[in-house]
Amino acid sequence: MQLCIFDLRRGQHEGQELDKILFFFPADCSFSMQLSVIGLSEGLITFTRIFSPEAACEVIEAERHSHVFYQAEPDIWMVMVVEKNKESEAVWRSAAVQGVLKEVHSLFTMFHGSVRALLEKQPDGGLARSHLYSFIMDYLNDFFVGKKLQLPSFRDCLRERGTIQMLTIGREAAIEVQSLVRVLESSCSGNTPCNSLILFQDLLVSTTLSPDDTANLFTYAVLRLTPHALSYNMNSWSYLRKGTAASHATVHSSLPNPGSTSEEFQYSSRDTSPGRQGSGYQVPRPLKRDKWSKGKDGFLVTDIWGSDAGCLNCATPTVWLQQTGECVYLSIYQHKNLTIIILIPVSSFINGEQGISWVKQQLLQNASLKILKVEERLSRGWGGENAYHVSGYRYLLADNDRNTSRASPPGKVTTLAKKSLLALGKLREEVDLEKGRAKRDDPGHEKDLEVCIRANNNAWIIARSTRGKELYMVLEKANETLLYASDAVEQFSNRYCDGTFSID
Amino acid sequence: MSGKVSDDQPRVGFNGAGALSHVYIQHPPLTCSISGARGLFYDDGNKLLIAPVLNEVFSWKTSPFTSFHDAPSSDTLGEGPVLSIRYSLDGKVIAVQRSNHEIEFRNRETGECFSQRCTSESEGILGFFWTDCPSCDLVLIKTSGLDLFSYEAELKKLRLVEAKWFNVSWYVYTHESRMVLLSTGMQCKSFSALQFSSGGVIRLPRFEMTMTKAEANNKPVLDADDVHIVTIYGRIYCLQVDRVGMLIYLYRFYRDAVVQQGSFPMYSTKIAVSVVDNVLLVHQVDAKVVILYDLFANSRAPISAPLPLLSRSLPRVAASSSQICSPQALHMEVTEVSVDEGKIYGDGWTFLVPDLICDVTHGMLWRIHLDLEAIAASNSEVPSVLEFLQRRRLESKKGKQLCLVIMRTIILERRPVSMVAQAFDVLVSSFAHSMKSGNICTDRSISSGSERAPTSDIQDAGISGTAANEAISRVKMHGKSIGKESTSVVDNEALNLDMASLINNSSSLFSDSDEPSAHMDEFQSGNQHNLTAKEGGENQTSTETSATDMLPTPLQSEVLGASGNALDSNTSGPQGSQVACVAISPDEMFSFVFALVEDEMAGDPAYLCAIIVEYLRSATSEKLRIPPNLYVMTVQLLARNERYAELALFIINKILEPSKEVAFQLLESGRQNFLIRKLGLDMLRQLSLHHDYVLILVQDGYYLEALRYARKNKVATVRPSLFLEAALSSNDSQHLAAVLRFFSDFIPGFKNTADHSMYCRILNERS
Repeated sequence: MQLCIFDLRRGQHEGQELDKILFFFPADCSFSMQLSVIGLSEGLITFTRIFSPEAACEVIEAERHSHVFYQAEPDIWMVMVVEKNKESEAVWRSAAVQGVLKEVHSLFTMFHGSVRALLEKQPDGGLARSHLYSFIMDYLNDFFVGKKLQLPSFRDCLRERGTIQMLTIGREAAIEVQSLVRVLESSCSGNTPCNSLILFQDLLVSTTLSPDDTANLFTYAVLRLTPHALSYNMNSWSYLRKGTAASHATVHSSLPNPGSTSEEFQYSSRDTSPGRQGSGYQVPRPLKRDKWSKGKDGFLVTDIWGSDAGCLNCATPTVWLQQTGECVYLSIYQHKNLTIIILIPVSSFINGEQGISWVKQQLLQNASLKILKVEERLSRGWGGENAYHVSGYRYLLADNDRNTSRASPPGKVTTLAKKSLLALGKLREEVDLEKGRAKRDDPGHEKDLEVCIRANNNAWIIARSTRGKELYMVLEKANETLLYASDAVEQFSNRYCDGTFSID
Repeated sequence: MSGKVSDDQPRVGFNGAGALSHVYIQHPPLTCSISGARGLFYDDGNKLLIAPVLNEVFSWKTSPFTSFHDAPSSDTLGEGPVLSIRYSLDGKVIAVQRSNHEIEFRNRETGECFSQRCTSESEGILGFFWTDCPSCDLVLIKTSGLDLFSYEAELKKLRLVEAKWFNVSWYVYTHESRMVLLSTGMQCKSFSALQFSSGGVIRLPRFEMTMTKAEANNKPVLDADDVHIVTIYGRIYCLQVDRVGMLIYLYRFYRDAVVQQGSFPMYSTKIAVSVVDNVLLVHQVDAKVVILYDLFANSRAPISAPLPLLSRSLPRVAASSSQICSPQALHMEVTEVSVDEGKIYGDGWTFLVPDLICDVTHGMLWRIHLDLEAIAASNSEVPSVLEFLQRRRLESKKGKQLCLVIMRTIILERRPVSMVAQAFDVLVSSFAHSMKSGNICTDRSISSGSERAPTSDIQDAGISGTAANEAISRVKMHGKSIGKESTSVVDNEALNLDMASLINNSSSLFSDSDEPSAHMDEFQSGNQHNLTAKEGGENQTSTETSATDMLPTPLQSEVLGASGNALDSNTSGPQGSQVACVAISPDEMFSFVFALVEDEMAGDPAYLCAIIVEYLRSATSEKLRIPPNLYVMTVQLLARNERYAELALFIINKILEPSKEVAFQLLESGRQNFLIRKLGLDMLRQLSLHHDYVLILVQDGYYLEALRYARKNKVATVRPSLFLEAALSSNDSQHLAAVLRFFSDFIPGFKNTADHSMYCRILNERS
């Protein structure tokens, strides 16, 4: 696999082509190789833009490789080249691969701001490169199984990357939670109220942010912050890995420790501008593993963002919110399985650290009782990992407007036959295409879509899409009539989706 | 900021410093002076004030208490000394104690008389009272014990039912409690207590009262004036004054025990006790102050500092239409009458059970009132003030107004959310309680709530410029309920008062049955049980009914009896039921708190939102039905501030329960945010509002989906032309043809309509 990020606005002159490259994986690839990949990609983009100026190519299928494109920011492209391998499991949806690119970029932007901004800050690109390098390497780290990078394959087609998984709660519990949210909101004194996210286990309970920002923070929380992610020496329970239970201990030892000074040197040596060599930027690495831990007061602490001399007061992390473009402090409180992320506008304090500790104090004072109560209530109602399993069904339910999804638990999905999953993967690919087409035709109008196919292992593979909501389903060992299949969907829809998909 | 809204409301604490008092008596009093009267007697069984004159006896009804009275009724009476006088409970017989040995009975209709004398010369009659105990009609207290008689009208004599032997020094009895305390012993401090309840006679274990010794050899003797029986929240207590220790001891009577429950300080050698609306008033007569205690809670701390009793007069002009919209009405033109200071707690004052004061020398009778506003203003502990107000029954309307004002004030003053939440808890649990006990007042407000169109209601409020206007328009909207009140309350405080005392009357008589909510908790449940059992015709003893508490059960027989009926008609009227309810329903909470503060809070939506969440939490915990208006308001609030993520959560988690009103508000607010609009649409579908759902789908251009849905759910009410127009405007002739075909196939006779031919032509032209 190769992954590169390049900027079409840079390196326009002959001899400066290297300047385009912002990131390349694997790093030990020769420059000529890098340049050839990027050159091809750039060529394809330029070529397809002739026919479709708005949306250039998304994927190029060659005989032995697929090139998946993602335009992260204007003129900044991410391209992933994946090898097609007949005998292996390497069958994927291009949208799923794009999802990976999109996710890593969103997370990057959340922590470091846009790539373009970094480039503008330091035109020689060193700042952007070092940030991208350490960040993406840390991100990819999660995908390693042994020495092999495992990309989302057809086995993951009942999962939707970059979406939020919500905890379903009853009305009374929801009111309790909202009551807590109000307290959190009021715990910072400024005119701009605090935003907050509340997670229980690895599921979202409440948010005050827009769907995009919520998705980013949720993803990060599940990767690094929740009790599961925190627990040391345990396989990361992130939804990324769940199906492919891999021993992570080996990953750590076998991987070259990315971001060490040698590599930074290696990278900056390629930097075309002189004078920056080896200087090494102080780059916070929010995705680095095992850097967060729970402090005595219940707040999570990390030294990722640097620390004061004594390291008693570690610097508070900050993130950028997409919707408001605001920079906020990230403060995380954890009580048992409840993770509370509080986002405090940087602008609300003159003295940041002091302000944060004040807010924390306020929070402990005002909210701890409510937190206990909420945790207790949610724990009581918690149905376990298989809470959202519906027997007989293997499903994925996605709400594109709210960036949420719910799916059969991974453990249950693994019981499906390979053939069913492959068929579903295929179907999803088709639906993706159809969706894209419909969107181009009439952006304001969401089309309903309904596909029901019988795979050759006699499983029903069903896709439904209506007004921004999608449902994918695999029914194995089911009756052979189409009527049965559509009844099954109808029943599911009525019981679990408020009748969203009960059209006929 | 609070001024604007509360202008039309009683201001908490408007009583300036000059008029500081928590209780007052109202001028003019009931005048009961008759020339030649030989003393005034109070018959607490019939609530009559009685003045015997030479060969006549005059009586004034003190309940309902009005100061503008007709002339007293009079009966003839034989001449002779009158030691005490009581009418029988059915009002047919007058019993007069003529001497220590003789009681005379006189039938009021026939004028027939007979006398009952003591058999032995050694014993003397201390007193007597009529009772509604099933086994006897009259109880005679003699120095040697009690004689229980039944009154045989035909035989013109008393038949002895039972004699109970005690050594009696003196006794205390109140009809309210049906309890007689018999004092014995050298110091008169050991007591036998009997309750003549409708369930039978209950004898309590003997008990001793606490007396501090002054010196070794000087043992103080307890006086009858130092012992008071009081009935509070349906519980029976006894207050005993310990003059040496300068303490007032409180005892509570249980079925099988008498337990001392703390003590109160005394600052005066003369102490008098009243109970107004279940608040205990300890008059420190010498100090001319009164201290208030609310014995509901366990705390024996006074409600507020000792303050004088005030005499007020209300000018009759207090013309007011409605207490809610008219400023004057609740600003209660209180002019402190300059009753000369000497008059208050004058020598002639006698304190009658439970809440009357009689000036024997001047022949005047007052009822004591609580000044709820002043009490509320003197305490800054909001939840406890609300609790106190919610327990008041006499002036429930004012109590309710005060609660609403307090709620608004603390919200407008942006008090901490936790404190407001506590206040909500108090009001909500009080309302839930009155719901459970079947208080009628809720039906009215709920029905009036459903009469309103919620969306327009809120929009009206938003448009109307001033809060005052708004209040008026709201009152109009509530038309029925408040309108009724305003007419029935009639422009006259006096009448209002009349009504209050009417209620009071019934509440003291019915205290257990008619207004169960007046007495809460343990008392309540036991009592209801009792009542139903009673209705079942069982003549059961209170042994079965009250497990722990000593209940004034005899009262219930009155409810069922003749005298009860007469009063019953008073309370069952519409006014009665309205006034009787102090609890605040969710509808009222919305109309008089949230809707009124909304405008003022526009600058701080986060706070208002937090407050609403707290109210929902509180109301949900009591399973109250919340008016959709409040939900609609919440949707508006969140949408206006572009807090769509939260709004979505509120809807998805059903914090805002689905309703048509909410759905339409979501559609409306969703004009700025398609996600919210979708939520509204989904809600319509979930509520099975098929017609509206299809209509909105067509409006949004999803006419094919709408057709499918209409076909599935058999919606035939949406005009075909709407679909056709939508299809036409989408410029897709294939779709248009499909829609046309759909109607041709499924609607009989569609082919003959103008629509059909028109769209066929259009299709033909296009192809």
